[in-house]
Amino acid sequence: MIEINNLTKYFGDLCAVDHVYLHVKNEVFGLLGPNGAGKSTIVRILATLQRPTEGTARICGHDVVKDPKKVRSVISYVPQEMALDIKLTGRENVLLYAKLYGIPDRARKVDEVLDLMELSERSGDLVKTYSGGMRRRLELAQALVHEPEVLFLDEPTLGLDVAARKKIWRHISSLREDGISIFMTTHYMEEADEYCDTVAIIDHGKIVALDTPERLKSSLKQDVITINATGTFGGLDLDSVTFSRGDNGELRFLADHGESVLPEISQALLRQGMTIQSMMVRKPTLDDVFMDRVTTSEEDSAFDGYKFRTMLRRR
Amino acid sequence: MTVFAHLVTPAAWLIFVGLTLPVTFTDNYLEYLTPGIMVMSVLFASLQSGSLVIFDKILGFLNKFFAMPSPRESYLFGKILFITFRGLVQATVIFGVAVLFGITVYGVKSILLTYIVLFIFGALFASIATTIALVVDDHDGYAAINAMISMPLFFTSTALMPYDKMPGWLRTVASVNPVSHAIDSARVLLSGGDIPVSEILMLAAGATIVLAICTSVFRRATL
Repeated sequence: MIEINNLTKYFGDLCAVDHVYLHVKNEVFGLLGPNGAGKSTIVRILATLQRPTEGTARICGHDVVKDPKKVRSVISYVPQEMALDIKLTGRENVLLYAKLYGIPDRARKVDEVLDLMELSERSGDLVKTYSGGMRRRLELAQALVHEPEVLFLDEPTLGLDVAARKKIWRHISSLREDGISIFMTTHYMEEADEYCDTVAIIDHGKIVALDTPERLKSSLKQDVITINATGTFGGLDLDSVTFSRGDNGELRFLADHGESVLPEISQALLRQGMTIQSMMVRKPTLDDVFMDRVTTSEEDSAFDGYKFRTMLRRR
Repeated sequence: MTVFAHLVTPAAWLIFVGLTLPVTFTDNYLEYLTPGIMVMSVLFASLQSGSLVIFDKILGFLNKFFAMPSPRESYLFGKILFITFRGLVQATVIFGVAVLFGITVYGVKSILLTYIVLFIFGALFASIATTIALVVDDHDGYAAINAMISMPLFFTSTALMPYDKMPGWLRTVASVNPVSHAIDSARVLLSGGDIPVSEILMLAAGATIVLAICTSVFRRATL
């Protein structure tokens, strides 16, 4: 349903999207990556809000550059900032979108999507009184009112509490059952792990991982050992252990049998004169795949003031 | 509440200046002032509303809208229409106050024609305000520009006194100020005079040109 071929976007000299190839079917597709990696740019190009410098993208067969109007009639875009009219009721907000999309039999459709998002009882209240989770669900209702085939969600669960997040995901999963493709970006690895059919990790504009969460995690194959230690790390010369990365006193190693190798590692570090504060062994998660493939350290990634304020904001 | 707050200034002008300022060139200063104050309320309402576009951009509404199949310009024209309409509502309240204080009304036709002038004028300045807002792109900058141009525009017009009572320098500026032209037309129409066709056509032409500029600035600022 979404075909991305050689998609490239330059902002001046900066290459935000670097010759990306992606193919998304009827599934929940998650795009993960550090800030500034190019996620939002890709979503904006697909939602026809920006033009690529090179390459093509087709959504349900329509080209985003040559046929943007057709593309817009089959997609819905929900950006991270919650843009709702808080002085209107929930129903009025959805009705506005129904009018803008020119839907026949508006009232019935509005009721239908509100019911789907479990907002029917509160639909007559002003959005000002809605919680964050409800507002997100309302935005989903707006997005669904014209029956799109592809839904673009930029950080759908950002800033929501656990219960609200679970609820949103329940809804998103049920949408996939209805045949809608969902293309989303997120920072919450556990959610991507649990709910996405396919996950892509993007770093510096390039896709560095693309597979199901299961296969990505098993690609790491090994247990992850995290050791917090001070001192200078001089490298390890143990057979079954590979050093993954070291950030700010936290060293990560990959090993086949983490528990058995742990004492050897700690001895080696102590011999190098390091002081160990804590050690941990666990099975790989999507977080680890991310840390393994992504080279942008937290310090280098662009601070997204917008995102920060969005997480903190309750208008 | 906001609507009321915006009305206080023009209403205060009308009442306190119109009824009390010792003016020698006319007996009924209130009636002389009314068209000027009506135009003033449309002017200020239009200029203040430029920030609406900035809000929409910052809050993310524009992005959601642009992902919809509706033509993008419809957002712009709708916005300008709204700003103009709001200005007209404010002008109506001012007119109501003036009528309350005893100005003569010359019939429904004169009022309707005045509203046409106000509409064209409102559209002109709503387009100007929106263009500036699209270029400046932030609230502080826009508020500064608004503060800078609104009062001078008002004072260098025929709102307060006719051309022949103005010092030479003021007369030159006032004669090219679109605010003067709107006020002159409104004044003529409100007192039951003949339709000032050339003035209205000039205002309409100005509005069309600025609207075209605004549309092109909009296209460039939002893709």
